[in-house]
Amino acid sequence: MSYSDASSPTFNSIATILETDFKVERSAISPATALSDLGLDSLALMEFVFAVEDAFHLRIPEDRLDPREAGITLQRLCEVIDAESSGTATAMPAQPAEVPA
Amino acid sequence: MSSGAAHAVLAASAARAASAPVRVSGLGFITPIGRTVEDFDDALFAGRSAVRAQKLEIKGMDTMELAVAACDFESNGVRSTSRLPLDRGTAMALAAAQDAAAEARLDLETIDRDRLGIFWGSGLAGAGTFDSTTSALYGEQRRMRPTTVLTVMPNAAVAELALHFGARGSAIAYACACASSAVAIGEAMRAIRGGWIDVAIVGGHDAMLTPGVMASWHAMRVMAPPPADAPSSACRPFSGDRAGFAIGEGAAALVLESEAHAAARGAGAAPFVLAGYATNCDGTHITNPDTAGQVRAMRAALRDAGIEACDVGHINAHGTATSAGDAAEAASIREVFGKATPVSATKAIHGHVLGGGGAIELIAALRALAREALPPIANLQTPDAAFDLDFVQGEAREAKGIRYALSNSFAFGGTNAVIVAGRASER
Repeated sequence: MSYSDASSPTFNSIATILETDFKVERSAISPATALSDLGLDSLALMEFVFAVEDAFHLRIPEDRLDPREAGITLQRLCEVIDAESSGTATAMPAQPAEVPA
Repeated sequence: MSSGAAHAVLAASAARAASAPVRVSGLGFITPIGRTVEDFDDALFAGRSAVRAQKLEIKGMDTMELAVAACDFESNGVRSTSRLPLDRGTAMALAAAQDAAAEARLDLETIDRDRLGIFWGSGLAGAGTFDSTTSALYGEQRRMRPTTVLTVMPNAAVAELALHFGARGSAIAYACACASSAVAIGEAMRAIRGGWIDVAIVGGHDAMLTPGVMASWHAMRVMAPPPADAPSSACRPFSGDRAGFAIGEGAAALVLESEAHAAARGAGAAPFVLAGYATNCDGTHITNPDTAGQVRAMRAALRDAGIEACDVGHINAHGTATSAGDAAEAASIREVFGKATPVSATKAIHGHVLGGGGAIELIAALRALAREALPPIANLQTPDAAFDLDFVQGEAREAKGIRYALSNSFAFGGTNAVIVAGRASER
């Protein structure tokens, strides 16, 4: 199973969050996109990670992924999400369970 | 020129500027009666109410039935410059302000944005977001967000507007309950007249239709019960059987500008000016309005406009349809204007939008000037026998040649704000 696939459910879910809640153009969202290239400042990135955590019902430990760290890509975020949810997630949400307003 | 003569010239010039009318270069609004001038006018002049009944069910409490006026507005469609989540009211504010700036054809690249101000009012600002986020925190144990503070702070909308327009002049939030946006508009007038800024984006909003906020209003016993057979008639200003207001939501924005600035950027003619403004405080009671304070405010606004009571062709009253509120206002209007000036009250159709109310109601007054017609007070069958005023009842009334209209906003806390608007050609 490839986690880096742009068609993976995890990637699609975070892309939807970026597009819907953070108004990032879909064309600017790819697995290779660095978080720092999304046009979001550090506060918005923290808000984004919160939204992702709520959507996937998990917590991403900061030592695994600090969103402010340079060079972290959406692919890396997907990998961390999938690793954190393995064993607990019987059904990965294709869409965020609930995207907070 | 001697220094004494120079001072006299400067003083005379300052006095002229201090009383100069301020141009209204653009309007924008998100209201329960519509977002376009066409929809707004249709409802306004037909007296068609957007008030509906809404059941409010909260665990452990009796079901409440409330009269509310909601906007057809999708807040998630608004993109903020900060890319942060927006309170619904802030999203409305941003959308309304963008509409107003577009109508004014403000070119942000060429105007001096050091002299562009944001003056914005809200009564409860982010209360809706705070209600829903704390409800999720206690109920579903969902965390507060990193941006909750930024979303609910009283100047959240001011901050987003300043970011969006790149405004670098004064950017100030005004919080005086029901008078918030009227005060914001008036204070911007003063800043433009005083020469502190050239142009301002002004107005206000509130978006309060979340369970905790609605329950708070309900607990205050100021909200009208929606009649089962005609919920849209819940709010009946100045009626003998008035029973309080319907809670509304919305935002309204104006672009205010000095004549000199408008001329310099080739903005062309504008149909309206703001001619006068006054604000004061009753200083008597937190909710009970004081006729004397309102009388002082209306007279001061007329003086500021340099006109007499008889020059005013229309009053859009605060008209909350509460027992005490309408009684005090009817008495104060009677004292200042006698029975000569026709009175409308538009909260009956768009609800009480609190911080956004003053701006929405001023826009209603501007539409009356534009159409030379006065909107009827919806749901007013039989005025309270104690009120000796000329209420506009039933149908819209023709008002050919109308020159000035006045909009009242009287707030919890005792703050009064009165704005006199005029047709630009009259000055």
